[in-house]
Amino acid sequence: MAAETNLLQAVKPAEHAEEDPREHLMFDPRPREEMNRMVMEAMTTTTRRYWIWLIALGLGVAVLLFGAWGNMILTGIGVAGVRRPIFWGVFIVTFVFWIGISHAGTFVSAILRVFKAEFRRPFTRAAELMTTFGLAAGALYPLIHLGRVWVFYWMIPYPNARWLWPNFRSPLVWDFLAITTYLLSSTIYLYLPLVPDLAMARDRTKGWRHTIYKLLALGWRGTEAEWYRLRKAINIFAFAIIPVMFSVHTIVSWDFAVGMVAGWHSTIFGPYFIVGAILSGVAAVVTILFVLRNTMKHFDYFIRVEHFDALGKLLLVFSMAWAYFFFNEYLLSWYGGDAAVKQVLTLHATGPAAWVWYTMLICNVAIPWLTLWNKTIRRTPWAMFIITLLINVGMYAERYTIIPLTLGHQRSPFDWGVYNPQWTEISIALGTLCLFMFLYLAASRLIPLVPVWEVQEGQMAHTLRKVGKAEVPSVTELEE
Amino acid sequence: MAAKVVHLALFKEEQIDHAAEAISRLHELGISDRDISVISGIPYSERILGRPMSWTNIGRIGLAGAVLGFLVATFLNFGTPLLYPIRVAAMGLTPIPTSIVVTFELTMLGLLISTFIGVFVETISPSFGPKGYHPKISDGHIGILFSGPAQLDEKIHTALSELGAEVVHEVEEEKLWP
Amino acid sequence: MAEQKAPQKWGLVVDLDRCTGCNACIAACSMENNIPFVGEDEVAYGRGLYWLYNKREWRGEYPEIKPAFEPVMCQQCGNAPCEPVCPVFASVHSEEEQINLAVYNRCVGTRYCANNCPYHARQFNYFDYELPEPMNSYLNPDVTVRRRGVMEKCTFCVQRIVRGRQKAAAEGREVEDGEIQPACVQACPAGALVFGDVSNPESKASQMARNQRRYQLLEELGTLPRVTYLKGGGRYGG
Repeated sequence: MAAETNLLQAVKPAEHAEEDPREHLMFDPRPREEMNRMVMEAMTTTTRRYWIWLIALGLGVAVLLFGAWGNMILTGIGVAGVRRPIFWGVFIVTFVFWIGISHAGTFVSAILRVFKAEFRRPFTRAAELMTTFGLAAGALYPLIHLGRVWVFYWMIPYPNARWLWPNFRSPLVWDFLAITTYLLSSTIYLYLPLVPDLAMARDRTKGWRHTIYKLLALGWRGTEAEWYRLRKAINIFAFAIIPVMFSVHTIVSWDFAVGMVAGWHSTIFGPYFIVGAILSGVAAVVTILFVLRNTMKHFDYFIRVEHFDALGKLLLVFSMAWAYFFFNEYLLSWYGGDAAVKQVLTLHATGPAAWVWYTMLICNVAIPWLTLWNKTIRRTPWAMFIITLLINVGMYAERYTIIPLTLGHQRSPFDWGVYNPQWTEISIALGTLCLFMFLYLAASRLIPLVPVWEVQEGQMAHTLRKVGKAEVPSVTELEE
Repeated sequence: MAAKVVHLALFKEEQIDHAAEAISRLHELGISDRDISVISGIPYSERILGRPMSWTNIGRIGLAGAVLGFLVATFLNFGTPLLYPIRVAAMGLTPIPTSIVVTFELTMLGLLISTFIGVFVETISPSFGPKGYHPKISDGHIGILFSGPAQLDEKIHTALSELGAEVVHEVEEEKLWP
Repeated sequence: MAEQKAPQKWGLVVDLDRCTGCNACIAACSMENNIPFVGEDEVAYGRGLYWLYNKREWRGEYPEIKPAFEPVMCQQCGNAPCEPVCPVFASVHSEEEQINLAVYNRCVGTRYCANNCPYHARQFNYFDYELPEPMNSYLNPDVTVRRRGVMEKCTFCVQRIVRGRQKAAAEGREVEDGEIQPACVQACPAGALVFGDVSNPESKASQMARNQRRYQLLEELGTLPRVTYLKGGGRYGG
């Protein structure tokens, strides 16, 4: 008998004893007033370093993006490296990359909201901002890469003097419609839960900020009808934006998959691209959360190790799903017996740019699989920062492999070609990165980056209940 | 008719039970739900406060938008190719599979945009019930706005103070939106 | 007028046994269609503007090697992959000539068509190209000049087809076989290129196309090309 008790004590895992539920934001409540103050302080505190970054990024946008783009418009697409047969290069790669990044916001705040994953609460807005700004950066590329950008409006459906409507059978027109839908709806989805927080900011500010918040808060008082309406709208959005999100990256993948290009014409491209997009998007969320936690005042209260832990698990799952789809696509194309497709796949792995292909596999599969299973690594923010940056490097390499490296080696070997990215393309790609960071940095000091009401709502629903001798975390279903 | 005098009872965030109790006391004193409105910093369901259900039209507005989006998509898919027929490859003028993509996107766009328009229009349209606001609401306080006959003032005051409310008399309506 | 007959289906036959690889077709094409010179560096990078180019490969083992030529132009597919992907209808099917048209003035330059063309027959204007003196006086008034940012490609010299048809109609007769010739066909000294109405079984092109040596480029993709090649095997016309 005594031996048995000893055994039980020995087996009892040490970790469980250590873990305090109060490490979780939901079980570490603070009064709303204090949280409001913290968020407002984070929003209004600007350091010298902040302004230096903001100005540097602004200059980056002006010079790297608009300078290089302007030069390209004036001289011609030829300043980019595209050539026959590789007519799409870095621009389309970066376009797919940004559209992929933009999937994170919806994933975190819509899918996790629908499934009531409580850890989402403090960073839904940070993720939604990523969606909006990622789309803003990505949506520039279909314009940038046009040969004649000054007539881009010919792709918009409206009655015109040319008597000509766009070709609704073209995937590019679907792209245009899908990105427009997604950009508008994700911006609204960012705005709706923001209204109560804008009202909070309105009550706490004076001067120009007060004027802006007053306008944007739409006279929010917090009446029952207002809350009811808001929650109903958020609900409609959360459910409706998920299929829109799926459609966006599926259509991006169809730009390639409907084509007759060996290596593109694959039925699995839709889900493969979506999984890749969520992988890169969630990775980018972690990257940004790390930066926010380390640069913004009081954010170590809202963004905690538990969030890195939870997102790390999601990343591991999506890395596995990505590997599954990649292998599925690869094996069947390789086995299928189409010599041209097989040649493309062989050249991905052995051609002059094979390092891109290996970068993709190392960053998307090897690194997450070797690190993210480990709880200690998942709970080390700087390690997660590095891992997630590498995942996005890997995802960029994936798109690079799929686009120029596939186009270069098509069915007729006489027409094979090598593509060299030129400085204009690199500059514009970096310029949109500057644009994204600039918008994010500016927005972080203009809108409350933590949905305070959602955090408080969550904290009210979470309590520690005493069951026997243990304090057990329990959740009350307050929402209906 | 002059506007009714509106009072505001403020409860701290942890006093939600008291706030719910206060509403039933006001009912007992003969103040109807029509003359009460609750404002709060986080959503509380009507069940918690014992209040009649709110209602909204945004579901219907959203649906109407979806129908509109669907009709626009149908015109673009099956109307515009006939206005100026142009053949591409061996594809028909109005193929069904490609039209599904356009239909989906525009239906969703219609649904989501009109849901937002619904929220916007309902938010800025005039509402019934007592008006008034206090900045403490966004600090998590629960505010009960009510108006009642002047002779009941004292009774109400004692009843609410017993429950720990901070009562603000004669709340002015603030202009919160231009 | 009132003639309701089926549209002519223009086609080209390339007899590889006769092709000597002289590239006269390329030169003639450039002159006829106002194709600019892009300069040495651009050509070296793979941006040469040729609507028609000659694929040359070396056959045999050194020192017994022989060049083999295969002039490739737009195959004027009946089911062209470049057409449906264009968002602005700049690549469309002509009902009258049954060829694939490039509408330069409608093109916005997405270059999707070019990616989707399995023959890589489409060319892009990466810059505005100036024709040097005195070549700028040579421009063919029947063909649009293209500015930077638009795609272009072989049209089977559609301007010549239209002109030939108009001439025949004005004289009140049918278009005769061999009357209409694209610039490349006209320039070919060896007679390796034959152009004609392939819907008419009696035309020279149709007769030549009924040959054991016939093949079409990437026929298995189902693009229904209008260009038929006659395989060369060193028989030199046999």
